[in-house]
Amino acid sequence: MLSDERVSPDRKAGPTHAGTGLLCVRDLQASYGGVRALRGVSLTVSDGEIVAVLGSNGAGKSTLLRAVSGTLALQGGRIDGGRIELAGHSLIGLDPAEIARAGVVQVPEGRRIFAELTVEENLRAGAFGRARRDGRANAAEPVFELFPRLHERRRQQAGLLSGGEQQMLAIGRALMASPRVLLLDEPSLGLAPRLVDKIGETIRRINSDGIAVVLVEQNAAMALQIADRAVVFDVGQIALEGTASELAASDDVHERYLGLGAGGPQVGEVEPLTPVTGRRQAQALTVSEVTVRFGGLEALSGVSLNVEAGSTHALIGPNGAGKSTLLNVLTGVYTAASGSVRYGDAVLTGLRPSRIAALGISRTFQNLALSPTSSVADNLLLGRHRLTKAGFVSAGLRLPSARREQAQQERIVAGIAALLDLDSQLDHPLGSLAYGDRKRVELARALCAEPTLLLLDEPVAGMNAEESQRMARTIVQVRETLGISVVLVEHDMAFVMGLADRVTVLDFGRRIADGEPDEVQRDPEVLRAYLGFEESQEESQT
Amino acid sequence: MSQFTELLISGLSLGCIYALIAMGFVIVFKATKVVNFAHASVLWLGAYLVARWHDSLGFFGAVGAAAVICAVVAALCDVVLVRALRRRGGGQDALAILTIAINIVLATELSRLVGTDILPSGAPWGSDVTHVFGVVVPQTRVAAAVVAVVLMGLFWVAFTRSSWGVAMRSAASDPEAAALMGIRLSRVAAGAWALAGALAAIGGAFFTSFPAPGVDNATGLLALTAIPAAVLGGLDSTAGAVVGGLVIGVATTFAAGYQDEISFLGRGLSQVVPYIALLLVLLWRPSGLFGTREIRRV
Repeated sequence: MLSDERVSPDRKAGPTHAGTGLLCVRDLQASYGGVRALRGVSLTVSDGEIVAVLGSNGAGKSTLLRAVSGTLALQGGRIDGGRIELAGHSLIGLDPAEIARAGVVQVPEGRRIFAELTVEENLRAGAFGRARRDGRANAAEPVFELFPRLHERRRQQAGLLSGGEQQMLAIGRALMASPRVLLLDEPSLGLAPRLVDKIGETIRRINSDGIAVVLVEQNAAMALQIADRAVVFDVGQIALEGTASELAASDDVHERYLGLGAGGPQVGEVEPLTPVTGRRQAQALTVSEVTVRFGGLEALSGVSLNVEAGSTHALIGPNGAGKSTLLNVLTGVYTAASGSVRYGDAVLTGLRPSRIAALGISRTFQNLALSPTSSVADNLLLGRHRLTKAGFVSAGLRLPSARREQAQQERIVAGIAALLDLDSQLDHPLGSLAYGDRKRVELARALCAEPTLLLLDEPVAGMNAEESQRMARTIVQVRETLGISVVLVEHDMAFVMGLADRVTVLDFGRRIADGEPDEVQRDPEVLRAYLGFEESQEESQT
Repeated sequence: MSQFTELLISGLSLGCIYALIAMGFVIVFKATKVVNFAHASVLWLGAYLVARWHDSLGFFGAVGAAAVICAVVAALCDVVLVRALRRRGGGQDALAILTIAINIVLATELSRLVGTDILPSGAPWGSDVTHVFGVVVPQTRVAAAVVAVVLMGLFWVAFTRSSWGVAMRSAASDPEAAALMGIRLSRVAAGAWALAGALAAIGGAFFTSFPAPGVDNATGLLALTAIPAAVLGGLDSTAGAVVGGLVIGVATTFAAGYQDEISFLGRGLSQVVPYIALLLVLLWRPSGLFGTREIRRV
């Protein structure tokens, strides 16, 4: 399988077999621009094993995968010490393509499928990682067997697939290389609960074919269910290690990563916050009979909902149900073919996005839409752009009035950052922050525009139980202090049910339920379409 | 036949040459995100080599040899210079400026070599003409159109069907993900530059053949007009390069053909027409006719 000319042996240490592991990481240290991200991590993955890697955002999980797959440098990071070996051969310093060809293939976070290529071509691209060319021709068959859906859609452009199908494609593409070790970075991120179970099942099936799996996951419940062993990262080190069942039973893991002890977000003790900026009154938002079409496709069909002033309203539904589309209608990015949106007395339909923002509606994005090279403070100042008065000339000349304003803006930004616990990171370039922290910067930036209605697109995607609780607390604090309304799209059910006053459920662009969280949770159609309890329901009926 | 049809056919045949040149420009941009201004000098180099070698190697032999040399030169630009700058963190802007520098260095040396001479390309058709739809067209232009269409067809098949095409398109779509799948980005990039160099040499040979007088000191400047063709069509669209090339070819030919009628705009308008067309198109569509607009899913 692995020929010597493909992987050059480690010159310093020579081929050393450290234990029986297939993939051995020894005392690995890595950093991004001087900031240490891994502080001596050792991990052994044996043949045919599933190892789950858990931990909060910024603990170093993704850094470990990047170091192994050779893509650390692309992110501005470097390996400072330690060893990474595949069957005794060092992988450090190799080009990512050579590492893939040696048999270690990574499914990157966020799927990263080739959107303009067809499903079939995406799979062909995956076959470049095969050590030998001869198997390329029929390599796709086992993948199609695993994901029959991909076979149905093989001639379709990958960008048109739903989120779940894209994740299948990303995994299938990696399998085309017939890897010995598969690295999965957050495969369940942003997927509806029933798809998460399906991905877990799929990983098991892949593993049963003898492929070792390293699974980085925020969804610790799913990861611990399918893994043989697990490690928990904390500040660049492995804090806990053991079999999956041991860790699942440990109190610490239970509380922090499974969030079971808490029973949904606890938002009891809210610290008092002082509003940092002037106040406007939140208004009621009324969406009536909104329809949106893309070409011939109806993304939303006659959707209505009401958001009372000062309330939290959740939008849930399977991937592709039209949730983000609805947010885009609210902000004016998409135009409704029919129907209307009113915010207080103002009619939003037909207004330009900038006008809608001026009315006090601000949003965060599902995929982070921030500038990675600028500092956190600069990103936040950008969010205040609408509220600054200094013009091009006075700012350029640094007139006293412009400088005064700048200082005032910086104070406001610092206040908002403090509200979200970001004050210590204001000067860091955004790219150096962990994913979960960047999500909080997004929220802070939206708040910088002093909204009265805040739209949040998947605010806790990619966060573990502890972090999403913290986010829930923050959202409640913000809402209470500033008296604003919140509309949020989210897949994390515990989060939604603990936080929302009202829930609207979308499926295929239609509203299938609307009500208080308890009602919606019991609605049979919601269970079928989204929460994925149909099997257990049927069993209980028989 | 009317002057209009004559100019149209002549313009389209010139457009095929432009398309061939613009396509190389687009291929480099797609694969490596470098706006390659050195393309014009590589073309000039190709045309110069053909003019020097056609006596000993014959026209086709000279074109083949020039294509190989230009492919190597272009690939070396990528491997030695572009890659080194990129490794040190050079961005798209720095890389574009690097290619301007390469262009100036190459052009200066070529202008020294050419001097005040006008070197004929040595195309075997000489100044012979033929009739297409009853219109008089130089035979070299017919040959150029045939060669261009065949090469573009071959490219299209390879780009959409072959493994090389899949690797190219994957790398263009998401380089990091492509590398994770085992695609060797450095080879894809060098391959794209080499292909662009070869296309520039072939395009250059026809570009300087009849009715053009041959390779002279202005060839580099004229070759730069292929860049508007690529930008106008859309920097990241190969189909756009073809359309952009045809538009520029027709526009310059019409401006030259009707220069008596439009003399109030001044003589020699045809030389700036590509840039005027570029400005007009970009005002209307900032990403070119077929270019991907900066759209992101929000």
